Amino acid sequence: MTSVTVLSQKLFDDYGAPVAFEEEVSTGTTILACEYEGGVMIAADSRTSTGSYVANRAADKLSRVTDYIYCCRSGSAGDTQAILEMVAYQMDFYRNENNEEPTVEIVAAAFQDICYRYRDQLVAGILVAGWDKVKGGQVFSIPLGGMLIRQKFAMSGSGSTFIFGFTDSNFKENMTEEECKNFLTRAVGLAISRDGSSGGVIRLGSINQKGITRQMIKFSEISDTILAPAN
Amino acid sequence: MAGVYAVERPPSGFNFENCRRNKSLIEMGFQPPRAQKTGTTIVGALFKDFVVLGADTRATSDSIVADKNCDKIHYLAKNMYCCGAGTAADTVMTTDMIRSQLELHRMMTKRQPRVVTANRMLKQLLFRYHGQIGAALVLGGFDVDGPHLYTVAPHGSTDKSPYTTMGSGSLAAMSVLEQRWRPNLTEDEAKQLVRDAVAGGVFNDLGSGSHVDLCVIKKDKVDYMRPYDIANVKGVKQGKYVYPRGTTGVLTTRVIPLVVESEEVKKVSGEAMDTSA
Amino acid sequence: MSIMSYNGGGVVAMKGKNCVAIACDLRLGVSQYNTIATDFEKVFQFGPHLFCGLPGLATDTLTVKDKLRFRLNMYELKEDRKMSPQVFTSMLSNLLYERRFGPYFIEPVIAGLDPKTGEPYVASMDLIGCPEKPEDFVVSGTCGPQLYGMCEALYEPDQGPEDLFETISQALVNACDRDAISGWGGVVYIIEKDKITRKTLKTRMD
Repeated sequence: MTSVTVLSQKLFDDYGAPVAFEEEVSTGTTILACEYEGGVMIAADSRTSTGSYVANRAADKLSRVTDYIYCCRSGSAGDTQAILEMVAYQMDFYRNENNEEPTVEIVAAAFQDICYRYRDQLVAGILVAGWDKVKGGQVFSIPLGGMLIRQKFAMSGSGSTFIFGFTDSNFKENMTEEECKNFLTRAVGLAISRDGSSGGVIRLGSINQKGITRQMIKFSEISDTILAPAN
Repeated sequence: MAGVYAVERPPSGFNFENCRRNKSLIEMGFQPPRAQKTGTTIVGALFKDFVVLGADTRATSDSIVADKNCDKIHYLAKNMYCCGAGTAADTVMTTDMIRSQLELHRMMTKRQPRVVTANRMLKQLLFRYHGQIGAALVLGGFDVDGPHLYTVAPHGSTDKSPYTTMGSGSLAAMSVLEQRWRPNLTEDEAKQLVRDAVAGGVFNDLGSGSHVDLCVIKKDKVDYMRPYDIANVKGVKQGKYVYPRGTTGVLTTRVIPLVVESEEVKKVSGEAMDTSA
Repeated sequence: MSIMSYNGGGVVAMKGKNCVAIACDLRLGVSQYNTIATDFEKVFQFGPHLFCGLPGLATDTLTVKDKLRFRLNMYELKEDRKMSPQVFTSMLSNLLYERRFGPYFIEPVIAGLDPKTGEPYVASMDLIGCPEKPEDFVVSGTCGPQLYGMCEALYEPDQGPEDLFETISQALVNACDRDAISGWGGVVYIIEKDKITRKTLKTRMD
């Protein structure tokens, strides 16, 4: 998914008004989400860039929607943050009105509603991952056009294109939490090492009925092991 | 239309009445002018119990220095300031707008506004205009949750970070911050660090220049230093180019005397409105 | 060709001691080099001590002048007091920024004395209303770059009205000499507490 949008190199628009020609901040990004036995795990790199400049090397692309449901954002940083805040507001409202936690399906549908309605104006690829009482851990993917699909494993962002081979050959259903963590860490690590728009640290989040456990792994800690072939 | 007798209040918000005309002028081959930009270095750094904002003071339009000592650290609230880079008018008007909204918010809630609130207001305003309002901001303040620092990009994305910089000189400033920022610097060390970061922009980025302004925001206290460091002084003239009176050829002179008809001084009693900026 | 140089012209304003001066050239051209008038003043009086120069596209000079006059009159009727230069600057700034996405092609210069304190005041702004309030002088128009050079060299703080007149006149005249589409006469207003002095300048007519 390419995500850098160059607004304009001109200094003025068709109406003679001065335009800001700063490039859009985008989350160049590698993001992944995966179901495991009893929950879901999400992972992301931490680089956001404007063109070739790293705007933030320690960004957090794993964003809270509710205590049990998180989303991974890729595409335009402005667009995805705005969508996230709209959905998070809707879900707070939902919780107060119905006195129960929204399910992952409801959150994903709320994201899709916005992503599809404004598909021509938005650059947003979102993974929704979370746990609910009805169906346990679930992962939903909402790619660029606003489609919504449930997947056992999903990834998005420019870095994901580099690791399809790895994920296809290493993904297993019903992994343990530890297996899943190992799988996602290696996947993000490999993407970081090949994709110029992904970088920084690896952020992980494991969501199950107890809520979320978050972790941060430095790329340097794993760089020499992930590149070695799996035993 | 109400006509000339009862004048309508102009609608609020942007006015697009000139757009069609301007478009046709441009299609005829006329180049539209460039607005003033603050080809800026702005810096913010967060520490344990205070936040420091810094900015250079040069405004440019094209390659001309339009203002040698402009103010880029804008007041938002008593506990909050905001540095602006990008299209100068956009940064000024955006911060002015949010400042008034924050003041109304403060009066309505009877609470000191929080920095997250200002951040949300700014990002929602900028997102509405899809980057057309070219304001890149560094927002810093101290509220009930302690010191905070945010970066707001023109498209409405925001980052919460321990140190940040924006504008054309941001690369020079960031190199200084990346090397020397530590979470527990003293206030003097912090001020020196931010000064050096801005000075990195002033001396290595042509869009940034003149002096360094600093603003240290602590609990219940703001130190706004303008200028903090006069990094560049104009050379002192040894003589004066004063023309003797009568040098200029005058064709006509008309003196219009002004008669002061009445002077009225009204004493205002009661609590004065707080308009401190 | 830039829209800003379709008609040509420039304005400059300077602070003195208890006085301010504002000056403009008198040329009006079309398509840059075709001079059609040499009595086109770009500086307008908006109050006893309040002047504003609107160089740029002449059609917008006149439109904005009328809109400003209208808003100023409404203010003074509603508020029953004179407008200070600071308020005038905000008003003009808002008028221009309202048209952020379809601007008027003018770059205004404001000069005046505060109606209460008599404090000298000069300000300028870009075409979308970013105010700039320096301590010394402001310039604008097609001969703006030349005026910057002249003013940086000639300006002295705290000059009296007579000396300020010489400084601003020489700055304007010499700047216009190096701009083909400015000049053909000039007007200077010296604004003091008790009087306004308007002088027309003898200049080259080429």
